[in-house]
Amino acid sequence: MARDPKYDILFEPIKIGPKTLRNRFYQVPHCIGAGSDKPGFQAAHRSIKAEGGWGGINTEYCSIHPESDDTHRVSARIWDDGDIRNLSAMTEHIHKHGSLAGVEMWYGASHAPCMESRCTPRGPSQYASEFEMQTYCHEMDQDDINEVQQFYVEAAKRSRDAGFDIIYVYGGHSYLPLQFLSPYYNKRTDKYGGSIENRARFWVETLEKVKNAVGDDCAIATRFACDTLYGEDSIEIERDGLKFVELADPFIDLWDVNIGDIAEWGEDAGPSRFYQQGHQLTWQKFVKTVSKKPVLGVGRFTDPEKMTEVIRSGQLDIIGAARPSISDPFLPNKIDEGRVDDVRVCIGCNVCISRWEIGGPPFICTQNATAGEEYRRGWHPEKFPKAGSEDSILVVGAGPSGGECARVLMERGYTVHLVDQAEKIGGYVNDVATLPGLGEWSYHRDYRETQLEKLVKKNKNSQIALSAKPLTVDDCLEYGADKVVIATGSSWNTDGTNAATHDPIPGIDASLPTHVTPEQIFAGKKEIGKNVVILNYDPYYMAPSLAEKLAGDGHDVTVVSAAPFGHYMHFTLEAPNMHRRMHEMHVNILGDTAASRAEANRLEIYDVYGDGSVREYRGPGKLPRNENKTHRWIEFDTLVLVTGRHSNDELYRGLKARKDEWKDNGIKDVYVIGDAWAPKLIADATFEGHRLAREIEEKRAQYPKPYRREVATWGAPHMPGGEYEIEYQN
Amino acid sequence: MKILVAIKQVAILDDEFEMLDDGRDVDHDFCDYEINEWDDYSLEEALLIKERSNSESEVVVLTVGPEQSEDELRKCLAKGADRGIRVWDDAIEGSDQVAIARIIACVVEKEAPDMVFLGVQASDHAFAQTGMTVAAMLGWPHAAVVSSLDYNSGDNHATLKRELEAGLEEEIAIDCPAVLSIQLGINEPRYASLRGIKQAAAKPVEDLSHTDLGLNDNDVGEAGSVSRIRKMYIPERGHAELIEGTSAEQAKRLAEIIKEFRGV
Repeated sequence: MARDPKYDILFEPIKIGPKTLRNRFYQVPHCIGAGSDKPGFQAAHRSIKAEGGWGGINTEYCSIHPESDDTHRVSARIWDDGDIRNLSAMTEHIHKHGSLAGVEMWYGASHAPCMESRCTPRGPSQYASEFEMQTYCHEMDQDDINEVQQFYVEAAKRSRDAGFDIIYVYGGHSYLPLQFLSPYYNKRTDKYGGSIENRARFWVETLEKVKNAVGDDCAIATRFACDTLYGEDSIEIERDGLKFVELADPFIDLWDVNIGDIAEWGEDAGPSRFYQQGHQLTWQKFVKTVSKKPVLGVGRFTDPEKMTEVIRSGQLDIIGAARPSISDPFLPNKIDEGRVDDVRVCIGCNVCISRWEIGGPPFICTQNATAGEEYRRGWHPEKFPKAGSEDSILVVGAGPSGGECARVLMERGYTVHLVDQAEKIGGYVNDVATLPGLGEWSYHRDYRETQLEKLVKKNKNSQIALSAKPLTVDDCLEYGADKVVIATGSSWNTDGTNAATHDPIPGIDASLPTHVTPEQIFAGKKEIGKNVVILNYDPYYMAPSLAEKLAGDGHDVTVVSAAPFGHYMHFTLEAPNMHRRMHEMHVNILGDTAASRAEANRLEIYDVYGDGSVREYRGPGKLPRNENKTHRWIEFDTLVLVTGRHSNDELYRGLKARKDEWKDNGIKDVYVIGDAWAPKLIADATFEGHRLAREIEEKRAQYPKPYRREVATWGAPHMPGGEYEIEYQN
Repeated sequence: MKILVAIKQVAILDDEFEMLDDGRDVDHDFCDYEINEWDDYSLEEALLIKERSNSESEVVVLTVGPEQSEDELRKCLAKGADRGIRVWDDAIEGSDQVAIARIIACVVEKEAPDMVFLGVQASDHAFAQTGMTVAAMLGWPHAAVVSSLDYNSGDNHATLKRELEAGLEEEIAIDCPAVLSIQLGINEPRYASLRGIKQAAAKPVEDLSHTDLGLNDNDVGEAGSVSRIRKMYIPERGHAELIEGTSAEQAKRLAEIIKEFRGV
């Protein structure tokens, strides 16, 4: 199908300095965990987007000097010739598809703790980072300013040599240039402090120097947090924000505008729990009233209608995207080809970001199982190897794992029967998406539902059997499938079994009318009393979500939390507003508190650190610490059990127990994936389904094939022509 | 015991479609095909009776349709039907529900089943006439819109419930053989297993033409029909107007529209 002409504006080229962007789809700098040390990962992940139609694609933040070292978080680096070599792989592969490659030159000041380089970062004034509270910077004098500006210039030249078309001076997320601009950081009294002109001086001078050095060859961009959301203590769009745009505009070819800071950058990378598509526009749209240069901005834009409206109404010139480009690297091409219903829409869960926040691991995506696997596993998001056999495959369970497995198997051309008791594809996601703020998570189901419905029409022997009778072990054995995939998910524990004690909690029993599991709440068959206690041993969203839901329904909610409450939501940037909401809704959170036993209407709780601090050997049968005497009872009308999950693996284990009957029934192998194997993130369950579908012809397909590793190699020095042997100073 | 189940392959329209140049049908390039939803239920009802039966029993599926409709027969065979019959030739093209019923009635006479099941209606043309026309042509006992059936192999009569208007139900007893049109929801249709699909490939499907059934050219196609489609089209719809502007401007426009409608 052809593109809908109403989206033509998204495909109009636009000039940025000496370069031309081929359309209005632009992947802003975002982290993936590749940096400069995993060049294959970097090159493949970025260039797959060029293939998918993105006109411009950037690195993540790219350090210009060892003084800006964010270890353990993974940034790119353009410190030396070794980095030029590694990042060149990215630019070469992007250029093959006619797109522009950009680099985001970054100096973090005290936000970068320099744990690898052991350097001391420099900043406009001395302060401890509000993000890395243990890290202080050294206040720059004029010599320092000249030197750091020269770091940018030298890094820009290296970037040009690495083949980059767009060179950023990064001042979003409160990194160095913004620290000069903002009185929140900048307490100087010289020509770099005080008035807006003085505070803008460092940034404007840096832009001018970089432009003079590489501006004939490369477009100069800046990422600017045009409002830091602190009110008049920092940058406000209609005050210093627009004045800065005016001052810097002559030295800039492209504005990349966002809001917020680093300590709470979920205000920029807004999770769908709190922010919808285009949530920054009320700030971003001012920039074009002042600037004469192209302006781009992010806002989790996934809908071409919205993108078109944003450009037509003159709010932005170019659609910036990080998460939507991860979720669907082929988003532009799908719009171009009139296949909008094939777009794998970002659900805004921020699990991608969580991996950067954790520091170290490669990123993952809940929607796109191939994200980050392009190079090391050779997975293309839209291309699948042809079926390796005539085998027909029964997939039991149409949740995230089974649904994805069936989708990829069908893409490969296998005959697949996907069976689920529920009337809809989606499994657990159908419940989770009913939680407050998580409605957009249902896009995970919607994508698979749409694709599966299309794919099943391509093979008349394939079938999607919903509202099906539960399959027994006998049913599976006699089904006539060559291979059976069990994706039956997991359930919340009904007896209080938890991560701390690994045992049930005496008295907890979800068959009681006053004790309920999350599934029982979703089912809506048990009455919830006024006074609710949530017992939480899970560090992610379930307890905060149920607290919000139940408090919103008018219940008085207390959370007894043995796990750090909503801890993983710090990594997904959901935590700050989640805590604000708990506060607004008067949810009472008892942290570091666990439960020892329960009755129908009361729970015995204790402080987890209530036992003795002195540890000593006291003989067999005696604990090495003084007894915990903090135990006390609290009452409830309803006890909600967020204590832990267990696999629904009866069917899998039943089939394994009758392995000797497989052959006679024509079954070659049986697999278990997703939560049925072990409970996990939706992203990981999706990945497992995808992986099995790609590797199902392997001899032991239950277990992943080794992936291609990218590691520093003994005998190959990082610096071209450098030394790798052990050498000591004399 | 033998039950004959007549099924139809129906077209499902894509979101966008075009009409044929003669304006009498949708361009089939824009269609997907599937079994008529009602027929899933009549097949299931037949399979349940067969499964309850202690004596030898057979479920035969019949369709009147071109080669591609064999796909639907095979799906029925995969679910457990024993054999299929497909009647088609060029002369049958253009048959209306009466001509189709005439063909089905001929197959019934040839097969001499104990029961004939059809869906209440087909989801594409929705005439809801074929079943009862077959009964009329055969002169057999019949019941339309059957929502519950008590019948076992070897019985010489059946007790059944029919859906009437306004939520009423009618319970009747009927002598067999009979022609029943089966309503949605009478049972829960099964899915085929992969084993069933593999076995279905080897089950017999007999292809017949109208002459094989002793029919003349005048009995089928447009010649054998009592109606013909003159035109198929999307009726023109009224349109909505989005009233924009300030509250005052909106109120003014609304007043204008009301005046227009009142003809003031």
